[in-house]
Amino acid sequence: MRHPSSYRDPSGFIFKKDGKVYRQINPVFFDEYNAAVSSGIYNFLFDKKWLVRHKELSSNPSRIVLEPEQLDFITYPYEWSFTQYKHAAQLTLRLQIGLLKNDFCLKDASAFNVTFHKGKAIFIDTLSIERYKANTPWKALKQFNQHFFGPLLLSQYHGSLHLKTLQYSINGMDLNEVKRQLPFFSRFNPTVYSHIYTLSKSDGENDTNHGISNPSVELSKASQIKMLSALEMFIDNMESKENTEWSKYYSVTNYNEKSFEFKKDLIVKWNKELNSKKVIDLGGNDGTFGKELLAQVDQLIVCDIDQPAVDQCYLEHLKNDSNKLTCVVNDLLQPSPAIGFDNQERSSFNSRVIDFAPDLCMALALIHHITLSGNVPFEMSAQYFSQFSKYLIIEFPDREDSWVEFILDSKREARHLFDDYTISAFAKAYQKHFNLIKSEKIVGTARTLFLFERL
Amino acid sequence: MNNLLYFDAGLGMMIAQGAIATVAGFVLFYKKIITILQGWLGIRKAAKENSFDSNYNKDTEIK
Repeated sequence: MRHPSSYRDPSGFIFKKDGKVYRQINPVFFDEYNAAVSSGIYNFLFDKKWLVRHKELSSNPSRIVLEPEQLDFITYPYEWSFTQYKHAAQLTLRLQIGLLKNDFCLKDASAFNVTFHKGKAIFIDTLSIERYKANTPWKALKQFNQHFFGPLLLSQYHGSLHLKTLQYSINGMDLNEVKRQLPFFSRFNPTVYSHIYTLSKSDGENDTNHGISNPSVELSKASQIKMLSALEMFIDNMESKENTEWSKYYSVTNYNEKSFEFKKDLIVKWNKELNSKKVIDLGGNDGTFGKELLAQVDQLIVCDIDQPAVDQCYLEHLKNDSNKLTCVVNDLLQPSPAIGFDNQERSSFNSRVIDFAPDLCMALALIHHITLSGNVPFEMSAQYFSQFSKYLIIEFPDREDSWVEFILDSKREARHLFDDYTISAFAKAYQKHFNLIKSEKIVGTARTLFLFERL
Repeated sequence: MNNLLYFDAGLGMMIAQGAIATVAGFVLFYKKIITILQGWLGIRKAAKENSFDSNYNKDTEIK
């Protein structure tokens, strides 16, 4: 059955069979595929870890079937932190430059062609690679700027909200819109001016309607490489200046060092007993606690609402060269919905987590935000967590906790509406969906760690 | 070859690439001169810890 996301490119499509993902290549793309195979370009990119590996399963005149390496969890561009987004953009440009040098090119530059696997950005659309026709400009430049450069620029100037662009505009951001939102002085940068201000003049026009059906526009390969190298250099130097309280959470939190270590030890001990191999840490901040499990697990997903915290998690992971960690920016009070054609092209965060089938879900220092800031009743959050994994480790900060006090104080005269926020009400509600295996108070804090097993 | 483009690449976009490439050539030349001058003055940029390349074990430059 054809995957709902795989309908745009006539070269072929992805389909699922017996829980596995395969790629069909249509006859119209056979020449391109065979040229890539005989040149060795696929193997070269596999070795670089830039392209998802595949093996050819069958070939006949009507179709070629590939079996790509199976990816357990796909993240979408609107779930990446700033540096992740930057690295995905750089991967696309490096691929195009590298392919050009080998007389191939990328026929599209959709940000959805990239995801993160084993901690690294990886290109997943094998059929985007085709032979380069001498002196043709890069047809995907407009798409690259709409999917990558525009959102990155706006995010740099106006905040990480713009990294979510593709969630509401799946085909990328209109460059005129990008131009409108850029500060005046940005036009004095030659890279920004040429890629946004110049190109925006032709964005939004349907050139094919101008009676020019087969225009002969030429650009030498060397010139194209220069253009892309300068763009890649600019993107490499981009930085997000965004910072929030959460990215420095652990330096200002109310844990003392002893409590901090106690909590870490308890999580490691409990997970060792559970022998969980796939773990998702919801509200995992910069992954401080989740990463304690890296020695025990095969895969760890750290998810948090806060872009700078997730970025920090990703940057730390780069230093440690772990290939088990996937970082995701997501707000659990409004997780990424299913979007695209028929609401099936890109699946929701929740459904991807369910498909990932983690053994353990962790929700540390999260429930007070969901319950008190999000007003989500305990019964609903319990049901939410129970859909993901058999085991749940959840931390409950009691009313005496300084964060809880802070949130309750902010409710002012509505404070009494949250009188039910108590440890007994919490435990009672959660036991409608879980068996309580054990709980332990984190020494030196007003917080308790619970281990639940789904009913 | 190159006949399976399934989105509008934009003719204006493609024409503009010549001009963009000229600007890029100037930018790269300027950066190179600056790097040479900095080298003469003994100013060396520290390698970035969290660069794109640090994410991959091997050189990322395709030869």
